[in-house]
Amino acid sequence: MARTTQQYKNRIELLQGTLDMLLLQILQRGSMHGYGIAQTLRARSAEILQVETGSLYPALHRLERQGWVASDWGQTEQNQRAKFYRITAAGKRQLAENRKKWETMAAAIAGILEPAQES
Amino acid sequence: MAYWSQIFRFDQRKSDLEAELQVHLRMAIEERIASGESPDEARAAALRELGNLPLIEDVTRATWGWQWLEQFGQDVRFALRDMVKTPHVTVTALLSLMLGIGASVALFSVVYGAMIAPYPYFKPGEIRLPAIEGSKDPYDWWGRHLYTVKEYQEIAKLPAFQATMAVGNEWEMLTGPDMDTEGMNGVRVTDGMFNFLGVPALLGRTIQPSDTDAAGKPAQVVVLSYGFWQRVFHGDAHALGKTLMLNRVPYTVIGVMPQRFGFWTYKTFWLPMQMNSPSNQGLVVFLRVRRGMSEDEEARQLSDLNQRLARMTPAHFPQGAMHAVLHSALDLTAASTSGMRQNINLLLIAVGLLLLIACVNVANLQLARMTARSREFAMRSAIGAGRWRLMRQLLTESTLLALAGGVLGVLLALTVIHGIVAMIPQDSIPNEARIAINGPVLLFAAGISMVTGMLFGLAPAVQFARPDLARALKEGGGGASGSLRGKAMRNALVVTEIALAVVLMASASLAIRFFLQVTTTDRGFKPDHAMSVALVLPANGYKTMEERSALNAELLKRVSGLPGVEAAAMGDGGGPYGGIRSGYSLDGQAGVKGQQIIVSLISGDYLRTIGIPVKSGGGFTPEEEQKAAHVALVNETAAKLWGGENPVGRHIHVDFLGQTFKPPFAAAVGVGPDMTVVGVVGDTKNFILESPTQPQVYLPNTLYAGPGWLLMLRTDGDPMKMMDALRAQVQQVDSSVALVNAMTMDQIMGLEAIRARFNMTLFGTFAALGLMLAAIGIYCVISYNMTQRIHEIGVRMALGATRGDILRWVMRTLVKMTLLGLALGLGASFAVERMTHTTLFGTNSLDAASAAGVTAVLTAVALLAGWLPAHRAGKLNPVNALRSEF
Repeated sequence: MARTTQQYKNRIELLQGTLDMLLLQILQRGSMHGYGIAQTLRARSAEILQVETGSLYPALHRLERQGWVASDWGQTEQNQRAKFYRITAAGKRQLAENRKKWETMAAAIAGILEPAQES
Repeated sequence: MAYWSQIFRFDQRKSDLEAELQVHLRMAIEERIASGESPDEARAAALRELGNLPLIEDVTRATWGWQWLEQFGQDVRFALRDMVKTPHVTVTALLSLMLGIGASVALFSVVYGAMIAPYPYFKPGEIRLPAIEGSKDPYDWWGRHLYTVKEYQEIAKLPAFQATMAVGNEWEMLTGPDMDTEGMNGVRVTDGMFNFLGVPALLGRTIQPSDTDAAGKPAQVVVLSYGFWQRVFHGDAHALGKTLMLNRVPYTVIGVMPQRFGFWTYKTFWLPMQMNSPSNQGLVVFLRVRRGMSEDEEARQLSDLNQRLARMTPAHFPQGAMHAVLHSALDLTAASTSGMRQNINLLLIAVGLLLLIACVNVANLQLARMTARSREFAMRSAIGAGRWRLMRQLLTESTLLALAGGVLGVLLALTVIHGIVAMIPQDSIPNEARIAINGPVLLFAAGISMVTGMLFGLAPAVQFARPDLARALKEGGGGASGSLRGKAMRNALVVTEIALAVVLMASASLAIRFFLQVTTTDRGFKPDHAMSVALVLPANGYKTMEERSALNAELLKRVSGLPGVEAAAMGDGGGPYGGIRSGYSLDGQAGVKGQQIIVSLISGDYLRTIGIPVKSGGGFTPEEEQKAAHVALVNETAAKLWGGENPVGRHIHVDFLGQTFKPPFAAAVGVGPDMTVVGVVGDTKNFILESPTQPQVYLPNTLYAGPGWLLMLRTDGDPMKMMDALRAQVQQVDSSVALVNAMTMDQIMGLEAIRARFNMTLFGTFAALGLMLAAIGIYCVISYNMTQRIHEIGVRMALGATRGDILRWVMRTLVKMTLLGLALGLGASFAVERMTHTTLFGTNSLDAASAAGVTAVLTAVALLAGWLPAHRAGKLNPVNALRSEF
């Protein structure tokens, strides 16, 4: 898939905390390797969110260090070796917390934006 | 996640991460191929999309949290590799550091052992000595106030002090059937002293409060010092329980103290004090402050007590308002009162300068080395290394170098420390001081290595951590040295080195001059083959002058008759030095108040024994001696008092002999102060070496005798070999007369020279090392400049420059730097000298002669150091030089 300038402009800079939350959410569905996670992120956000490799892997390793994900080497469907990440129980708890915070934040922002739009 | 496993499996994790990213790359490529791109296109696009793989790996590894360690390991490995690749630079740098740090560490161990922590006592910081500020204190001793026994007992009752003790001296005559008779100072202490100081005995026990009975009478026990135990009992453990006869009273040995314990004495012993004595002897009191009470409160309690005591015995205290002060025991050590503190401070400054020279040297070397690597820095900066990262690399390198230099320095210090300790003037540091490379000294060594590393690492770090990328990459590897800034800094550093070396050399020249002065000054007498030994009369014997004169005559007769003795004489007290000071007047005129003359009492052969020439008139005849005639000899300085006229036959009134004498002093019957001058003798140095001779008068020792005499011998061989024969003769006459302190005249002269020699050796060594380091620095910098400009030299030679021209071209810069350094150094030396007015070097001050000497030596060394590489540059084959372009 070729990139278009349109897509470049739409790339939103994701804050570190937000990226962590999205990664945890993706892994909620099942374990995945790094490339797969990047693909999923692109797919499920309709190509809007494309995380750079340079941000993805540091984030994954950081999550692993915090104990929210765990990693193992395994085999892909093509029978190739890859490192798979899965969410841990602590990670699930962290995800729930992050979601709550995000929803509170979103509501707060919406609360401010709403009245402005009405007038 | 266990951190330990993380550290140990670091390499494994690194390769894991690499593999992980490779997998990602592969998958990206496969996806592109699957959507129709060619393999090559796919690969190129995927790589582009992925970005900077090593950088991603770096950032990811950073999240592991151990990046600092990883980078540190990198830096260290890199630094070591580079140091091995440039062995000349590394060795020179290590040598400089070894000398600089080694000298500093050695000197610090002296400072630490002698001044910071000299005492092995329990919490020495808590000990205080009472003093009274105010008007003149009659019981003052070195700034401390002395108390009598009764007064001390009042102090001990004060709640302000946790513990107290008191010390006094007492002259003890040691006699005994199986010991030589000797006189020495025993130390009387209160029974709590050993507990106060908190040092346990090596053998047996110490004096305890139980040794004093309720009435204050002490048991007759004695605790020996280690030195005494070794010398008299030869370290025998059975010394415990033996008896010492002191002043004809038996004392039982109950304990021996360890070697380091030397409170008040190193060589004698401690006795319990008599607490019920009415004596007025002044005792030195030590106090331990009570924690929780303020020092002001304690001083106030003492002040109040002083007031009370002063009302009872006003003679013991100063008049008027008194204000008690508690001095810390650590301040009033021998080190500070004898001027040793100033001595050591100056030495510390000198060694600091030496260390600075070493730093400058290494900084220069590092600069040169880094210049060769400027391309490497530019490259690293280009691929993403931050400025701080580069600086850290450089600082790690310098710290590593400094630590290695520090280790070598400590090794050097270990080897020289014994030599230094042997040279330290006796009695200028506390007895108990132990100078060694111990824990705190090692800490200091580590600290100073780190500071040194930071110092000399700063120069290259500042210059190379922000390379001008484009320029460095464009120029050749060494081309960056052509940058004006780099060369200017190197030259400035060399000038600094030279200036510092000049300052060190100036101080050394002063020290050397003083030493020469001390050792070559003509003292007016002949100390070779001469010795003196003090004789101490027993406390209750020889009360009359007749007895003393008889003893004197008998001893001299016997001793003069010994084979090998050329002459023997008896003097009083201090031989050629010291003596009684008395007021005087001439020829019946009124005496001027305050003018004094030294009075020496001598036997007839004294002049011949000591070697003082008679200038006019004659010496004492045997009749004059025997009859205690009122005749006198004066030295040349005293003779001048008669204003150029010959004093022989004139009269002098010696005030001292006008008083009545009570035991232990004795004078001949009918002695009076009027003397007739019968001769003039040569001047001797009878006061401080640098001061002019003082007027002195010699009188026959049959006129007056104190309880202490000085027996002097001139022998034809080694004087000390006469000691046994001498002792035997004295024993035969009277076994209760003690011989003390036998020394040759040369030894006594040598004592004076010890401090001068100490300073000369240390300042001289520092100066020599500083000069050597500066020379090495000059050699390296000139060498380096040459190698950088090989191409330019080739061009010049090709254009017709001769070898001499090249030489002159190189030397021009060197001469400029040397002159500048000299000017700065000499200027600084003069300025400092004017400001400090130190008495360390006698009355010598920096003058034109010293400056000229320093200039000559420095110029010679600097020019030689620079000439060697310049000469090599001149010998270059111009063709090779031209070809050596990069």
